[in-house]
Amino acid sequence: MPESSILNELTSIVGGENAVLDPELLQSSAVDGVVPAIALYPENIEQISEIMKAASRAGASVVPRGSGTKRGIGNKPLGADIVLSTGRLNRVIAHESSDLVATAECGIALSDLQSYLGGKNQFLPVDPPHVRSGATLGGIIATNDSGPLRLRYGTSRELLIGMKAVRADGGIFKGGSKVVKNVAGYDMPKLFAGSLGTLGIITEATFRLYPVPEMSRTYIAGFESLDNAHDTVRSLINSNLVLNALEHMNPALAGSITEGLGLGSDCNRYTLAVRIMNVPRAVEDQVKTVSGISQENGGKGLIIEAQNEEAFWHEVREFPWRSSEQAGAVLKAGVLISDVPRVFILLDELSDKYGIRAHASARAGNGIVIISINGDREPVINSVRELRGLSESAGGSLVVREASPDIKPALDVWGGMGSSLGLLKRIKSAFDPGNILNPGRLF
Amino acid sequence: MQSSIKETIERPPDWKRGFGERLTGILGRDGVIYADDELLAYDCDALTGYRIKPLFVVLPRTSGEVSRVMKMCYDEDVPFVPRGAGTGLSGGALPTDEGIVISLARMNRIIEVDIPNERVVVEPGVTNLSVTNAVSSYGYYYAPDPSSQIVCTIGGNVAENSGGVHCLKYGVTANHVLGLEVVLPDGEIIETGGKTLDHPGYDIMGLVVGSEGLLGIVTKITLRIIKKPETVKTLFASFDRIEEAGASVSGITARGVIPAGMEIMDNLCIRSVEEAVHAGYPVDAGSILLVELDGPHAEVAAQMPLVEEVLRGQSALEIRIARDAKERELFWKGRKNAFPAMGRVSSDYYVQDGVIPRSRLAEVLGRIGELSREYGLSVGNVFHAGDGNLHPLVLYNSKIEGESEKALELAGRILGVCVDAGGSITGEHGVGNDKKRFLSLMFDENDLETMNLMRCAFDPKGLSNPGKVFPTPRTCVEQGMKPYAEHPLQKAGLGEMY
Repeated sequence: MPESSILNELTSIVGGENAVLDPELLQSSAVDGVVPAIALYPENIEQISEIMKAASRAGASVVPRGSGTKRGIGNKPLGADIVLSTGRLNRVIAHESSDLVATAECGIALSDLQSYLGGKNQFLPVDPPHVRSGATLGGIIATNDSGPLRLRYGTSRELLIGMKAVRADGGIFKGGSKVVKNVAGYDMPKLFAGSLGTLGIITEATFRLYPVPEMSRTYIAGFESLDNAHDTVRSLINSNLVLNALEHMNPALAGSITEGLGLGSDCNRYTLAVRIMNVPRAVEDQVKTVSGISQENGGKGLIIEAQNEEAFWHEVREFPWRSSEQAGAVLKAGVLISDVPRVFILLDELSDKYGIRAHASARAGNGIVIISINGDREPVINSVRELRGLSESAGGSLVVREASPDIKPALDVWGGMGSSLGLLKRIKSAFDPGNILNPGRLF
Repeated sequence: MQSSIKETIERPPDWKRGFGERLTGILGRDGVIYADDELLAYDCDALTGYRIKPLFVVLPRTSGEVSRVMKMCYDEDVPFVPRGAGTGLSGGALPTDEGIVISLARMNRIIEVDIPNERVVVEPGVTNLSVTNAVSSYGYYYAPDPSSQIVCTIGGNVAENSGGVHCLKYGVTANHVLGLEVVLPDGEIIETGGKTLDHPGYDIMGLVVGSEGLLGIVTKITLRIIKKPETVKTLFASFDRIEEAGASVSGITARGVIPAGMEIMDNLCIRSVEEAVHAGYPVDAGSILLVELDGPHAEVAAQMPLVEEVLRGQSALEIRIARDAKERELFWKGRKNAFPAMGRVSSDYYVQDGVIPRSRLAEVLGRIGELSREYGLSVGNVFHAGDGNLHPLVLYNSKIEGESEKALELAGRILGVCVDAGGSITGEHGVGNDKKRFLSLMFDENDLETMNLMRCAFDPKGLSNPGKVFPTPRTCVEQGMKPYAEHPLQKAGLGEMY
């Protein structure tokens, strides 16, 4: 618990009206039950720098926060003395539409940014969950969060070309540049993407944009068997089609989403959802081809558009947080494209063996499987362990994105980090020798 | 003036011979090059203006050998310079006379081709084009396609984060590398990433790509391959003025079209190229623009008229559309021979690699023209217009006294213009030895200090490709950042400490 002199110093940096010290109010900023001593709302990068200098001197731990939508990621922090909000740094700084490049402050909500960019018919093609809950640009970059569109556009790591950040010691630096092609110096933006606020506080980001596609259609088809669905995935990947998203859902999820949207009942099958966004003729042609391939494998499909389509993909992005049940765990497995069926098969077995309920959606062209598991404590813990065993033995990984408070402490959130762990720790130590930024959450 | 903090290490008189024997112990007789005349073959890369003879050149065959060599270098404080095919244009593979060159040329196996999972795993000495050749019959290719792709190696591509004509749409090397095995400067072998995505931890892979050999040596690379597009259509347009070509590029982007590639050449380059390879370029045109569209049939069919409309709107003198693969190749022949063709009109040329925002093309070209007249040296312009990556070719005659220096200075001024316009000093060739004096145009002390912090986690002794990228050598404090206190060498003005 930091001394009151430090708290006074921090408060004076941002002004009393931009600091919260009331313990009751601070409860909502808690991270895995660790309640901060103070929450700060700086208005610019200079104030953030001053805060970090003070925190460094005092050895006070700092948790950067955008909208807090992803604060459940990572291990329980060793300390969370200060919650540092980026919320007031929320301006678009530049939008060069003829260069397809924009720069914005990281506290901006992605939805606000997209509205702004939409004015010139452009967008940042990243579709993670929690956007409607105010997920910020900074949080999305810091977690490298992504959604189904990563198939075509990559994650924010691929889209980020420049950044400005504040170090643990308060130093302000920039990395990358404002042009899409640049190899001068080290690629610091790539280091910071996905670094979970453990190396510094990203305050500004420059990224490449894409034109908003003219038209979008989604083709959804249910299959009699997992094999039929996966054969279709293989044919689609091996074709010349340019797909924006290719989602492979397990029966439980497919049934729940399609029923919830009134797209039909009894859709508890392995289901593919293929999204194509392009000029109208290219959309029509390709949907036809997708439909043909799907039918060859016995798929029964329908095409959705407009609000139905938007609602559908919203459910795909948000499903782990839609369950009315007590949450168990939300996982992300990274496996080979060809190993996705093995994950589904294991989920089935775990359901039989332990009675857990699993909803899962795979980004089938990337080998990423998002899994939501509900059930009693022991079964959930065992299931996570077995899923990780499968993922890692297949050369991949499994990360626990979130878990309920009674389960999380019993889980290894990250799994193995392999032979580079020593190097990772040296990098962390170089940037944050006092270990004050999100301490303990990564390692 | 640059001074080295590291004093040249005092070596016992026959240290070199002993070191050579120890290297031979690891690599065998044919794994080490000793003889002066053979060493000279490694004294530079494609930036031939600077040449330095290393103590030895080694040619390891396995990661294990690379690791053992590097561990020995670490133990004895011997700097090393990694080398692929030596096609680099920034002097990144320029040796140090106090150390060795570690050539990856013998590590040239394609380890695995996994078509269903769209991955290829290779050793660093594998050439860029041979990756595509290995997967071509399956309808796949490896997208980053630098002009030297027949010769240049994947290891070198990783070091420089190479681009190529089609990186506008498909990205650069960093977007296609999914995993690396890296030997750190102390000999430790680490793996980062792999065939699967989203491994937990930091993006070491993203850092190492483009690090120009300063963070260690890459010994295995996992690459992403992609499906060949259904259709490719290439358009060729000529204009009176280069500004019109530049405005066309902006116009095409504004219409929401992202071509696979867009290339511009100015009149000087057109004439040289036409003389050399007869690609059918109109020698009186102020500029030509190549636009390549690819993708599904219907998408390309929809984009074509938009592109043509933009070109006509910019008063294109003529617009040609390649009717078949042969014509397409002819359109590209000129562009691909732009650099070599300059050799016909000038005894020497110096190619630069600045990047600018596409919207500033006309203005920057105008400025380059002014500078060219100011210095009395011709500058040919050929560039990846789609991503703003210029390649100004400064023509000069080294036999005329002072002209080499003038050319260097002019090139530096051009880079300054690029940075002032919001761009970069290098889009794909790397900083290397060539451009380290310009790095501070883009990065201030805090930026450079931060990058150095990061480097110290990899290479605390500064042995990995020293003297490249960063203008002044910096040491690494053992425990990371400390409260500021001047080191005696700093007080003496002999260096900086971070």
